[in-house]
Amino acid sequence: MTIAASVLATTQLNFEDLVRENQRMVFSIAYRFLRNAAAAEEVAQDVFLDLFKKLGSLESRAHASFWLRRVACHRSIDYARRNKTAAAEISWDLLEEPSGQALENDPFLSRRLQQLVAGLPEKMRMVVILRYQEDAQLEEIADVMEIPLNTVKSTLHRAHAMLRARVETLGVRP
Amino acid sequence: MNRLEDELKLALRRVDPPEGFAERVLARVASKETPKASPAHWWLHAFGSVQLRWAAVCAMCVSLAVSGALYQRAADRRRGEAAKEQLMLALRITGSKLQIAEQSLKELDSSGRPER
Repeated sequence: MTIAASVLATTQLNFEDLVRENQRMVFSIAYRFLRNAAAAEEVAQDVFLDLFKKLGSLESRAHASFWLRRVACHRSIDYARRNKTAAAEISWDLLEEPSGQALENDPFLSRRLQQLVAGLPEKMRMVVILRYQEDAQLEEIADVMEIPLNTVKSTLHRAHAMLRARVETLGVRP
Repeated sequence: MNRLEDELKLALRRVDPPEGFAERVLARVASKETPKASPAHWWLHAFGSVQLRWAAVCAMCVSLAVSGALYQRAADRRRGEAAKEQLMLALRITGSKLQIAEQSLKELDSSGRPER
């Protein structure tokens, strides 16, 4: 095996490891944002193709994960803007109303929250996804989305207020 | 952390990608990374079939034989011309020598003959 071939094999091995380690994270960000499995797969695949091109300049697995998270966010937002997905246009008024008084541990509350999050404005939606799906700190969200920390704080505050108000109208008291 | 945040964490748990996602990514990368034919390989691709390669080899042999024959013929002609030049030179030298000898004999005849 030539030196070039062995270098390529090593690169491919590392790349494969990175795909398997991060596929859930990348796909979930795209899926939660776009609410469409096919679109999410397309975006996630493109993110990993970008990673392959960029592999030489990434210093560590942590660096690669951070980079993947950032690119997944931006590519998802770009995809939604380009394609005007149904998720981006969900109106809260169209969301299903509960059939009766919601219970404390309503098994459908998660689904309703997912729908409510899908109806949030793009930037706010991504902040919420990063905060609650990725468990990211506010500073991390600011880094990933390339926005000021105060903007993250205010966006998250407004998201909480909007979601709480809507959940309350659905009969649940969070 | 309040209940809304707990519920959001539950609602926004990560989801698994569709079956075979990683394999599809790797396949796409492999298809993009297939090396393009380099200029050195281009002519080999052009002569892809065995018959074409044999025809090319035969054509090359014929052209080599014809070139060799033409070169040999030109060399023979050059050698012939050189020999002709040498012969002409030798004849010219011989002619001039004969002329000198004849002149000397004439001079001897005219000066050495006794008077009657």
